[in-house]
This record gives sequence, C-alpha cells and structure tokens, in this order.
Amino acid sequence: MDTRTAITELIHRSGLIMDERDFKGYLDLCAPDYQYRITAYSPEIRKDMTWLEHDKAGMKSLFENLHRHNSDKSPISRHINVCLVDIDESAEEASVTSTIEVFRTTLDGGETELFAVGKLYDKVTLGHDGPALRSRNVRLDTRLLGYGYHIPF
Amino acid sequence: MSRNAVEWKQTPSFPESHYVDTRIYTEEDIFLDEQRKIFNKCWIIACHESEIPNAYDYRTFSHPGGPPLIVIRGEDMKVRTFYNICPHRGNTLLYEPVGNAKRITCIFHAWSFNATGDCIDISRGKEGYQDRFGCKDAGLREVKTELGFGGFVWVNVDDESCTLREYIGEAMGMLDEHLDQPLEVFHYHKAVVNTNYKLWHDTNSEFYHDYMHYFNRITGMIQPGYFDRKYTGYPNGHASVGSMAIKYDAYEGSKARGVGWPGLAPGGWVLIDIFPGMTYNLRTSVLRMDTAIPLGPNKLLIEFRGLGLKSDTPEQRAERIRDHNMIWGPFGRNLHEDLLGVHGQGLAMRERTDSRWVIHGREENMTIHDEGGMRHFYAEWSRRMGRKAYDPYGEQAVAVK
Ligand code: FES
Ligand SMILES: [Fe+2]
Repeated sequence: MDTRTAITELIHRSGLIMDERDFKGYLDLCAPDYQYRITAYSPEIRKDMTWLEHDKAGMKSLFENLHRHNSDKSPISRHINVCLVDIDESAEEASVTSTIEVFRTTLDGGETELFAVGKLYDKVTLGHDGPALRSRNVRLDTRLLGYGYHIPF
Repeated sequence: MSRNAVEWKQTPSFPESHYVDTRIYTEEDIFLDEQRKIFNKCWIIACHESEIPNAYDYRTFSHPGGPPLIVIRGEDMKVRTFYNICPHRGNTLLYEPVGNAKRITCIFHAWSFNATGDCIDISRGKEGYQDRFGCKDAGLREVKTELGFGGFVWVNVDDESCTLREYIGEAMGMLDEHLDQPLEVFHYHKAVVNTNYKLWHDTNSEFYHDYMHYFNRITGMIQPGYFDRKYTGYPNGHASVGSMAIKYDAYEGSKARGVGWPGLAPGGWVLIDIFPGMTYNLRTSVLRMDTAIPLGPNKLLIEFRGLGLKSDTPEQRAERIRDHNMIWGPFGRNLHEDLLGVHGQGLAMRERTDSRWVIHGREENMTIHDEGGMRHFYAEWSRRMGRKAYDPYGEQAVAVK
C-alpha cells in the first residue's frame, strides 16, 4: 500500500474504531506522544476555545472512566472525509486535513440527527511500522451540542 | 408499596414549603406570567464587560422576558443597553452577536442611531415626515444597565426597579473578596434543553445530586469539610453555598499546587445562586457563570461562561481552561450529567404526563444535602408570582372549603 493510501486509511479507521467504542484499538493507532484536542472559535466572545485537551495517558484514563459516568448511550457515527494529505518524507510526517460530520442515532426508534460538523487537523508520523496518529485537533463548527456527550469525536 | 392513581396525586405529607406542583414547570400561562412578573422585573446578566472592551463594541442578548437587546459601550466607555428593535418598521438593528458599531444603521431603510440610543438620521426624513416626525421622536428604547459583581453587565427592563446593589444585597458576600480583580471570559457556549429553567436553577441549588457524579460521590463526599458546607438564603431569593470553616491560611503551604484563585483555598468551592436563574460557581481555578434563559415552559437556553483573571499569563490561562473543561466543558464529566438530569426531568414532567409533585423535603440543618436552597427559591417565586408553588391554581384552598 502506498503511503498516501495508508495515511488515508488510518484516519478513516480512527473514526470507525471510535464508532465501535474500541478505545484500546483507537489508542493503538496513536503514537506514544499523541495529543488530542477539541477546539472551536466563539464568535460571541471572539476567542479560540479549547474544549478538551489530553495526551495519550489522559485519553486512556478518560476512556477508562467512561463507564463510571451517567451518559447518553445513543451511538454516534463519525463520517470522515480525508481532503488533503501533505507528506513530508524527510520529517517522516504528514499533515492531514479532513472534514467530519457526527451523527447521533437514538436507541429508542433509531432516529438520526446531525450532531456536529467540523474538520480534523491531524499530524501523522510515518515510521517503519506504518503511519500512526501523533496529534489530532477536532475543530468544531458546531457549538450547540444540546445536553452534550462524554465520548470525544 | 407502589401507589394507585389516587395515592399518586395525594398532596405529599410535608409542609407546603417542602414540595411543588409540577404544573409550574409545564403550563404556558404560568410561563407567560413568569416573564412578566419575574424576568421583566429582576436584574439579569446580559454579558461580561470583557466581551465589549472597546468604545462602540456591542453584544446582543435575548432577554428572557422577551426583548432582544443590544449592549453597547459608548465613546465615554459607559455601557448602555437598548432594544434591538428599529423604531421604524420593527427590524432587527444588529444581526451579529458581537461587533463594533460607531453608528447603528438599520439595513431596511437606513435609519441611524448612535451608541447612546439617539436617532441621528432618518433617510429622506423631511421629505416624508415634513415637521410631523423627526429624529427626536425615534430614539431607541433604553434599558437600565449596571456593571458589577465580577464585571458582569446586568440589565433590568423595569424602569422602576431597585438598583442592582439593592437587588443583590448581601448575597455575594462569600465571593466579594474573590472578585476584586478584573476578570476575562475565556469560555462561552450555549445549550438548549427541553426542560424548565427552574429545574436547571434547582440543580445549581442542591448538592444532593453529587450522587449523580462519580467523582463527586466517591472522592468529594469524603473530603473533610464536605458536610460542613452550608446554605444561606438571602432576600430576593438568592442563596449561597460554601464553607466558612475552610480558610486559605490553613492551606498556605500547598499554594504551589496549581494556579488557584485569589483568596480561595485549594479544594475550596463557593456557589452563589442569583434569582431567578444565574449561578456563580467558583472552584479550583475557574469561575463559571450560568445564565438560564427560558424559551418556553419546557425549553431552556443556558449560556455557559468560564472566566479567569485578566492578568493571567498564557500558562495560567491554559491551566484554568483545562480545569474548566475537564469538568464543565461541553465534553466535561459533570456538565453532560447535569444536563442529562434536567433533560430527563423535562421528559418526565412535560405536559400531560401525569407527573404531580416535586419534593424538596430534606432537612439537614441547611448543610450541603439539605434542600433549603430550593425551598428558598420557591418562596421568592411564590411571592413574586402571587401563586403558591405547591398550589399554583389555588385549588387546595377551594377543596378545603
Ligand atoms: S425598519 Fe429600520 S429603518 Fe425601516
Ligand atoms: Fe452537578
């Protein structure tokens, strides 16, 4: 598989695996120095906001604590479309820009609603074992998320 | 034992102050009454001064009593508020939530206004109105505005209202010393939930629901001082929760643990509920402000703000943002649970579900799990509404006769 295809597959896989709530599988896609963020710009206060920020250990503990919380159990579906892949061979790194839509489906009746839209800004490291996620910035356009959700996008 | 239809509806065996009739959460006529008698009479937070730092900066706000508002800073740096309604044919004057407008010009027929609410131009005014009508007749409707209590911009659409300071009284006493430095909003988001605004304010007025939050339940409740926290009720329906016992001095040595907050002990927590739907929540390193804006009896918009010190270094600010969002951000541990709670109440108590009573009966010497904070709110609600929260349609008195 060529590098570009492998990177594209990694990004799509990261969404599918989260949809399955296979959190261990997700962490396996991440490099040890992984950094995850959810950010948004608020036109109301004219500021960039960081809504969630974790390193790999932080993500792991977030996942491990999920079952302890009272949460909306509706499944969500991340639709990711990889748009731009910039490969820097010398740095063994790639920058990837994707669009993401998140849909939520109710357990009772299965009604699906659009939950959020935004972009993913990913950095991917290209090692011998194939590409791995080094950082992800989930940049949300949607800021009105109703009663919210515990699982990151 | 489960109960049959008659038993389910029987008035709870508590004093009348200790339960409410759920129709106060569902009925349209009660909601309209609340807009008139509560929201259009009380001081409401419209925004924070840091959101409009420069002359001519403005911010729009949907007042819970109904009117859309413009909060704008004048050339003299004074903050004033006006209806966001053009006096000509009723158009919205400013469409964006925030901006800078030296001159407010309506897009429809180009009437213009300044930041003090004067009409300064009517296009082809003389030709159309001759001497019958002019700028002097077309000023914007001004709304009373005061800044205070952490730099928030408060508005009151009642021209006859008391001052903000009279309205708050002593209620902010526990926070006064923590709010003397300029603050800055770093977080803002809204949530719309199908529930009644009072249920959200109730959640902010009782800590018994720490049972809903895993870490509050497992670690919070065993912290020294947890059960020493007390509710204090103040005139006009405000209430505070906090511990007078935990003082910063006792923790002097542990200052280095985090960025903290001026005068607040690590682990300290002060919460002040301002009637009818605003909550100051100061914890660790962050001040959170909730503003409840009802859109209907069973539809609520909440504005969430996170604030730090204006003097923060980037590192300090980043730490406050992390502290805030881990618990209270849109993906935070507690916020989703709190919102899920009131969403569930809205689901169970919407019209015609045959819900009947909500019980506020816990008495624990006004300590943390006492439900006195909510009782205090409903006493004020009943006074302002001229309706009893336990009997909003005056049926119990009739039944006795
Ligand atoms: S409606 Fe504003 S100028 Fe006519
Ligand atoms: Fe809570």
